[in-house]
Amino acid sequence: MSTGRSGEILRVRGLRKGFPGVQALDGVDFDLSPGEVHVLLGENGAGKSTLIKTLSGAHRPDEGTIEVDGSPVEIRSAQDAAALGIATIYQEFNLVPELTVAENLFLGRQPRRFGLVDKRAMNARARELLARVGVDVDPGTRMGDLGIARAQMVEIAKALGLDARILIMDEPTAVLTTGEVERLFAIVSGLREQGVAVVFITHHLEEIPRIGDRVTVLRDGRSVGRVPADTPERELVRLMVGRSIEQQYPRERAEPGPVLLQVRGLGREGAFEDVSFEVRAGEVVGLAGLVGAGRTEVARALFGADRYDTGEVVVDGKRLAPGSVHAAREAGLGLVPEDRKGQGLVLGADVGENLGLVTLGSVSRAGVVDRSKHRAEAAGMADRLGVRMHGLGQEVRTLSGGNQQKVVIGKWLLADARVLVLDEPTRGVDVGAKVEIYQLVNRLTAAGRAVLMISSDLPEVLGMSDRVLVMARGRIAGELASAEATQDAVMELAVSSTPENSQKDPS
Amino acid sequence: MSTTTPRETRQSNGAGAASIARRFLGENGALAGLVVLVIVLALMSSDFLTVTNLLNVGVQAAVTAILAFGVTFVIVTGGIDLSVGAVAALSAVVLAWTATGHGVPWPIALVLAVLVGIAAGLVNGLLITYGKLPPFIATLAMLGVARGLALVISDGSPIPLPSAVTHLGDTIGKYLPVPVLVMLAMGGITALVLARTYSGRAMYAIGGNEEAARLSGIRVDRQKLATYALSGAFAAVAGVVLASRLASAQPQAANGYELDAIAAVVIGGASLAGGKGRAFGTLVGALILAVLRNGLNLLSVTAFWQQVVIGVVIALAVLLDTVRRKGLRLSSRQAWAGAAVALAAVVAIAVGVASTGDKSGGSGGVAGGAHKNIKIGLSVSTLNNPFFVQFRDGAQAEAKKQGVTLTVQDAQNDASQQVNQVQNYSSQGMKAIVINPVDSDAAAPAVQAANRSGIPVVAADRTVNGAKLAQFVASDNVAGGKDAAKTLAGSLGGQGKIVIIQGQPGTSASRERGQGFLEGIKQYPGIQVVAKQPADFDRTKGLDVMTNLLQSNPDVKGVFAENDEMALGAIKALGKKAGSQVKVVGFDGTPDGVKAVKAGTLFATVAQQPRLLGQMAVQSAIKAAQGEKIDATNAVPVKVATRENADQFAG
Repeated sequence: MSTGRSGEILRVRGLRKGFPGVQALDGVDFDLSPGEVHVLLGENGAGKSTLIKTLSGAHRPDEGTIEVDGSPVEIRSAQDAAALGIATIYQEFNLVPELTVAENLFLGRQPRRFGLVDKRAMNARARELLARVGVDVDPGTRMGDLGIARAQMVEIAKALGLDARILIMDEPTAVLTTGEVERLFAIVSGLREQGVAVVFITHHLEEIPRIGDRVTVLRDGRSVGRVPADTPERELVRLMVGRSIEQQYPRERAEPGPVLLQVRGLGREGAFEDVSFEVRAGEVVGLAGLVGAGRTEVARALFGADRYDTGEVVVDGKRLAPGSVHAAREAGLGLVPEDRKGQGLVLGADVGENLGLVTLGSVSRAGVVDRSKHRAEAAGMADRLGVRMHGLGQEVRTLSGGNQQKVVIGKWLLADARVLVLDEPTRGVDVGAKVEIYQLVNRLTAAGRAVLMISSDLPEVLGMSDRVLVMARGRIAGELASAEATQDAVMELAVSSTPENSQKDPS
Repeated sequence: MSTTTPRETRQSNGAGAASIARRFLGENGALAGLVVLVIVLALMSSDFLTVTNLLNVGVQAAVTAILAFGVTFVIVTGGIDLSVGAVAALSAVVLAWTATGHGVPWPIALVLAVLVGIAAGLVNGLLITYGKLPPFIATLAMLGVARGLALVISDGSPIPLPSAVTHLGDTIGKYLPVPVLVMLAMGGITALVLARTYSGRAMYAIGGNEEAARLSGIRVDRQKLATYALSGAFAAVAGVVLASRLASAQPQAANGYELDAIAAVVIGGASLAGGKGRAFGTLVGALILAVLRNGLNLLSVTAFWQQVVIGVVIALAVLLDTVRRKGLRLSSRQAWAGAAVALAAVVAIAVGVASTGDKSGGSGGVAGGAHKNIKIGLSVSTLNNPFFVQFRDGAQAEAKKQGVTLTVQDAQNDASQQVNQVQNYSSQGMKAIVINPVDSDAAAPAVQAANRSGIPVVAADRTVNGAKLAQFVASDNVAGGKDAAKTLAGSLGGQGKIVIIQGQPGTSASRERGQGFLEGIKQYPGIQVVAKQPADFDRTKGLDVMTNLLQSNPDVKGVFAENDEMALGAIKALGKKAGSQVKVVGFDGTPDGVKAVKAGTLFATVAQQPRLLGQMAVQSAIKAAQGEKIDATNAVPVKVATRENADQFAG
């Protein structure tokens, strides 16, 4: 459908791009007007990343045209994109943690006087840019000391500093808490009023009507629809997956069995204290809270990945040796870490290797790996989980986010883990694969296993948990049964003991 | 030289076999490089593709390959091991010291040597895992410690190996050199460990993503310890093989081999970032380096150009692999074919340009007749020192005068490389060989091999122990040392404190000159030797050492430096004092040294006559080649050059 706007800043027609074995873009049309927030929607692997990489100069299209301000352009490099006023903010920020905010803002183009960096001018201009975004950060702060939300805002300021007229944001809300998302929306709305055109990628459908003007849906490398942002979610999902999804959170509750995981008085100086809870067989316990409340820290500590100062972790009645992943694994614990690529997978290795990573020892005899058994087990698991791949030999790097997550979970299922700790299990995972992961959780609990699920996605926590623990400031602020767990109740607990002197308050 | 030939050769193969071969080579970039290299060298030198020579290549690759197998484990985990060369030397020295020096039965000594390697690896591992040191630093520290301990234990001198162990350097029957067998066995073990064992698979996981491996319950620290211990064990085996080839354990052996080993691993397709690497690739990488060195020897490429060519080929080999990986599927074959042709072209051009330099006389055919068919090979210990450059010049001048073909190779102060060069001369059909040994003991096996082929060998400057020489041509270092003592003491009126700046520990020149000097100085009770420190025959180090010594001994009156280079460094450190308040005596009589004598900063230098040494060595070699009888020794006169007589010496 055409909106009839004449002054389009960006026009993409018939874009095609193939990689060995994959047609990533297979005819994409896309328009963008100044002062518009245009949502790009699609499952992982639908071609969103390829499209934005093409627009930012990382890929060259095989076919199709890109017009900026009505004239056809070729974007061969990041420099070309910058010259056209196109800036992209990826999920992994292009920021140097060791440099200051101002230095990051002017990386490679620091204002100079007599050949030296003019620090005063740089800081002054940095302040202007930061004010334009509306973020209160001192330009002299070390980048690494900023939280993820503020770092993102610095990225936006950096893009504005480059006179960006087209701002592409790749899942900016995926890593933010609710309050931070509000803040981001305010900034994006401000940019819209300044005439900046924004391409906004998100998996959170409920965000679309609040921030977007129009939505372009991609499926299998094609643009399959352009609809207004107030289109009902059900219709958006149908466009995205090509079928309707009945239930977003298909939790099937099982009768809780005996206690499998017991955490008593766990504490570590400066991170969390006095954390106690238990998880029973057949249960999904949600761990909610703001980013920085200590959820991931607790998960890693109880799994032995990090040390703790006080308390103990008991699995199946047996006390775990602290600080030993090996001991946790032997006891039947498994961790699906929040940073899938950085901590969950050996990206350069193939699917089979990754699936067999935990069980490498148990299929070895006298130190020699039984490779056929190793391979057969991996193949069986990939099949059970429905991992979409060319074969076990495919590099895991090339799988979509959802399939990568299945591999991480799969390696623990092969190890027969009885208590699985899932940290942000569906971050960066598309709607279809999300539901598959939820169903997997259902199967696990039905088989008498226990799940501890950390998630910043509140609807997910509420939809999938049997009980919800809420953490705030390193402590368990409260526990809610599924019946009484509402967004408001959780948020109330999450901000309940926010310290007076903290500057991190996002709302 | 035709650079298109490799491609034609491939195309003319039968269709089915060709496509299989092409695919295999396409998936093994390094192997493709090796094949190209072999084809190019076979076309350029008729001596290359012979059974004897290929066996030589295998033997010459063995030590690097074994070291590289060990390093492969480390690189797969994303680490690095710089200590393997030094650990190899230490293990060999421990073997020889316990077995030869202390009567330990050789099998036990062998076990001890391997245990030493493992211990060094474990220390590396502990520093890296529990000490949290970066692998680069931890193993660099171990490089120093192991090399130093090897020198301490051996007191700087090579120790002969028990004869039972030297059989490890032999050839079983005609075609089975033991070093090659050991290399293949170690390669097999490496392949097995990497592909089949828990530890091997864990290494890939750790190198690919250490945190993911840890969070999967792999005990990363423990696996890393095992990895570095393995590397140490392999280094020990390499050290034993190296020593057995040289029939002696040298504290300075395998210097710099860690870089060759790392290069072999990377050429073989491993990534320094970790997670990638295979035993077969490493073997191919080591073979590429050995084939290249051997081929450049056979083609008589000058020593300096050899280093350039080797550097370029290392870069190209890795580049070829990168191009092959990154190129799109369809074009990758053309890409590597292109790169392979480029590689061939570079080798061919470099060889063409460079090989003209060092052949004297002969083919030019200006001078004449009688000796036209005589080919003589010369292996110089190093050309990094003006003395030996002059020695070479003298030899070349004499060869030209007599109309014989002289091929010169630079051993770069590496005893085992010298053995390779002499071996290669034997298979090239030289009529006589002149060797200026890096080490007198280590040269023996190579000279013995030449003896077996009936090729007479003349040793120059340093002798060869335990092998038959046609002649030993040298100036007498011990006598020269005594002369130096006399001259220095005389200039000081027999009174005062002096320091000695020693050459590279473990070299015979340093030992003999020092020994002669100390014997000579005993005659002068008023002279007090207050310090003896090594500066490795190097001018810069001489400067540093003298600067340091002046801090502790400001009242020093005389300096004896075991060569002119160090003497010149010492003079720099002394500044205005040189020649006036402090008398410096050097050794060698190099042009720079004689210049300094004329200028008065260097009081005297014990002048050897390197040009004359080179001339006499070639004269003797020609005589020996023609079957003439020559004396067992031939003394080149040594003279003390002082200001009065300096003009007699080439300045």
